[in-house]
Amino acid sequence: MVEPLLDVRDLAAGYAGRDVLFGLNCRIWSGELVAMVGPNGHGKTTLLRAISGLVRPSRGEILFAGKPLARLRPDAIVARGVVHVPQGDWLFPGMSVIENLLMGAYLPAAGVRVSDRLDFVLSLLPKLAERRRQLASTLSGGERRMVAIGRGLMAGGSLLMLDEPSLGLAPIVIDQIYEVVFALKGSGRTILLVEENAARVADHADRMLLLDNGAFVWEGSGPDLMVRPEIVETYLGG
Amino acid sequence: MTPVRRDLLVGLFLLGLAACVPLLGPGRYVTTQSTLFFVWAVVVVQWNLVLGVGGIFSLAQMALFATGAYATAMLGFYLKWPMLVAMPAGALVCVLVGMLIGVACLRLRGPYVALLTLAIAQMMYVLIVNDTECFTNGSMGCLPLFGGVRGIGQFGDLGLRALFPSKWYIAHYYVALALLAAAVAFSIMILGGPLGLAFRALRDNRSYAMSRGIGPFKYQLWLFALSAFFTGLAGAFYAIHFRVVGPTVFSFSTLLFLLAMIVVGGIGSIWGPVLGAALLMLADEGMREFPEIRDVGLGFVTVLFIILCPRGIIGWRSTLGSVWRRQRMRRPPESSPNP
Amino acid sequence: MTIGAMYAVSTIGLSLVYGSLNMLNMAHGAILTFGGYVCYAAMARVGLPSPLAFGAAILACGALGVLIYLAAAWPLLRSPNFETNIFIATIGIGAIIENAMLKVFGPYPIPQPLAVSGDFVVGHVHVPDQNVFILAVALALMALVAITLERSRFGRAIRATAQHRSAAQLMGVRVGFVYAQVLAISGALAAVSGILVSSIATLTPVMGADPMLKAFIICVVAGLGNVYGAVASAIVLGLMEASVQYLLGVRWSLATLLLIVVIVLIWRPHGLFGRSQEERQ
Repeated sequence: MVEPLLDVRDLAAGYAGRDVLFGLNCRIWSGELVAMVGPNGHGKTTLLRAISGLVRPSRGEILFAGKPLARLRPDAIVARGVVHVPQGDWLFPGMSVIENLLMGAYLPAAGVRVSDRLDFVLSLLPKLAERRRQLASTLSGGERRMVAIGRGLMAGGSLLMLDEPSLGLAPIVIDQIYEVVFALKGSGRTILLVEENAARVADHADRMLLLDNGAFVWEGSGPDLMVRPEIVETYLGG
Repeated sequence: MTPVRRDLLVGLFLLGLAACVPLLGPGRYVTTQSTLFFVWAVVVVQWNLVLGVGGIFSLAQMALFATGAYATAMLGFYLKWPMLVAMPAGALVCVLVGMLIGVACLRLRGPYVALLTLAIAQMMYVLIVNDTECFTNGSMGCLPLFGGVRGIGQFGDLGLRALFPSKWYIAHYYVALALLAAAVAFSIMILGGPLGLAFRALRDNRSYAMSRGIGPFKYQLWLFALSAFFTGLAGAFYAIHFRVVGPTVFSFSTLLFLLAMIVVGGIGSIWGPVLGAALLMLADEGMREFPEIRDVGLGFVTVLFIILCPRGIIGWRSTLGSVWRRQRMRRPPESSPNP
Repeated sequence: MTIGAMYAVSTIGLSLVYGSLNMLNMAHGAILTFGGYVCYAAMARVGLPSPLAFGAAILACGALGVLIYLAAAWPLLRSPNFETNIFIATIGIGAIIENAMLKVFGPYPIPQPLAVSGDFVVGHVHVPDQNVFILAVALALMALVAITLERSRFGRAIRATAQHRSAAQLMGVRVGFVYAQVLAISGALAAVSGILVSSIATLTPVMGADPMLKAFIICVVAGLGNVYGAVASAIVLGLMEASVQYLLGVRWSLATLLLIVVIVLIWRPHGLFGRSQEERQ
């Protein structure tokens, strides 16, 4: 039995002393595309933050490639290969597109030249190449999202976590974003995705996890989820 | 019982206690030092109104104190007003200056206010000290308008020295105590009244309070003005007590001293600053043997307290609470291997 | 011009510290003074040549900056009123340093040995060599800081931390180190400023208060956190101060400065170039 890349055990975490996640268990294997769905405010972002180190868990363990992650600083966790593209992009507003991307590659990775990685990312997201010197605060929503994802890709890493990549974007732009995401999955990347619109990812995801009120209430494959109307209606708004 | 009543009762009790002290015959030194304590306590309690309740980071308190002192002294010296009139007049001048400062700080928040008020205090100091032109040339010789480096003296008295030639300092003690009592009672009423409530609202959730019609500017101005009144009065009394007012009131040493009082005692409550004032005055007594390290000691005390116990002694309970909460988060995870 | 340049060196450090940490370092004046004295002590008491003394002062103050970070900023970072608390803490620390200087070196003014004598003539104006020296040093430093911030990985990390701290963490930036480094740089720049200021005036234990206040005012007018705006404002304000002192007399310079500042702030509460801090995480 292959060891999971990410192993979350009995994780509890929250803000200002109040927990939002209660005893979560979750495992992700290398090469999977796992999508977390569920109503807003129930803990999906918190889980990603706990994994990337922005939030300290009050209980539980997180193992990445067998080694514990739970008490490390975020920068140490990134160094291990966990890349978090947060909800809302979190771009550096005073920096250009190129500078933002270069920040993604802040940590030196063995055997990879930053310029090569930059070329790769720009080839995947050609729109960014056109605007390379533009200030991040002047970009449109879709462009910002691409910079955020590009920045995540610049970091390399073995686990890519995307928090609501379609948030606030026009459908055409969402299509473009997901084209990139599915291409990455196709090339073997391990991706953990939070997505409000389950239907978008149902066909491509290896597994879907339904999070409700800080606990996983259902797990299965995409098509399985879509054929259960009660789940779809109750949790995903139809 | 409402917090206001409780505070008033505590105040009354302490007032009674303090009133009895001179009757026990503690001697001149203790009495005059206690008088000084009362004066500083007034300033610090008023400062707390602006800082702790209003959340306005003003460092202008000493400047206001000096304004009250100088205004009263100058009214007595140049216009020959009797002190009983000059004192409240000086306090009113102080209110005006306070309002001006409040207007200047209107749209600023946090550290900007601190810097501006600090700069204003420094500016007043520079203006006074660097003035070398003689405004009058009377009994004190060449005297610049604001007294220059030497300060202003001979402006009059409350008449208590004439009334009680040997025990005038006790009379001053009671005056200062009355001032403190008035200031504390005043602060309690403010805090318990609509102004205090408005400020708590503004501090806790500014946008909501504003949406309910609580205009922060108006209240800010009120707070500055009101706190300036008693501070000015305290300054006026200080001038009368020491019979001279000079630029040393602007000294950074004094500001540090008062700051330490607030930090040690605790920001936000009425009694915190009073407690801080008392403790710091006592500590100052102890440090009398070592004057060179006084400021260093003050610095250390301030730093230590703000890092370890930011809510002061009064707030020790909440400090304990946050320490306890942090310990809870540090406990190792109970790993439950769940296959 | 010279005054403006001297202020500019100071303000860069303050601006950096505020931009990254949201911290108003009230001990800046004391560090400045410390730098001046270390240089003096290195030259007069230990006998080091001036470049080494210069370097010693820079190192000493850089270390002092890191010390302040470790002793005050780091423990307070988690507290809810960080800005207020660190403000008060640095006031206390400044008092400690200044009084230590007072004890060690005495209250009387000492001339700064690191000075350049002589002057040269431009047209009808005698320009002291010292002023040129100061200008040159200040410009060189500003250029150095600018290049570091813009081009180097290290400078990018500082800017990233200042613009969005959590995002920087997700990029692998060790934010605690960045803070310490920023405070070290600020300390080093303060040392230079202290040496320059005391080379024109004299060394006294309280010499740091006035330049620090002016540097803060400049930062506030430019908008706290904006380094380039601060430099520009410094130069402008330095010129203004010189002209006011010439026209009205020394005592009015601070007053006019303040008047200008108040007006600017009422018109633009975030400073001329500042931006509201909503994006900060």
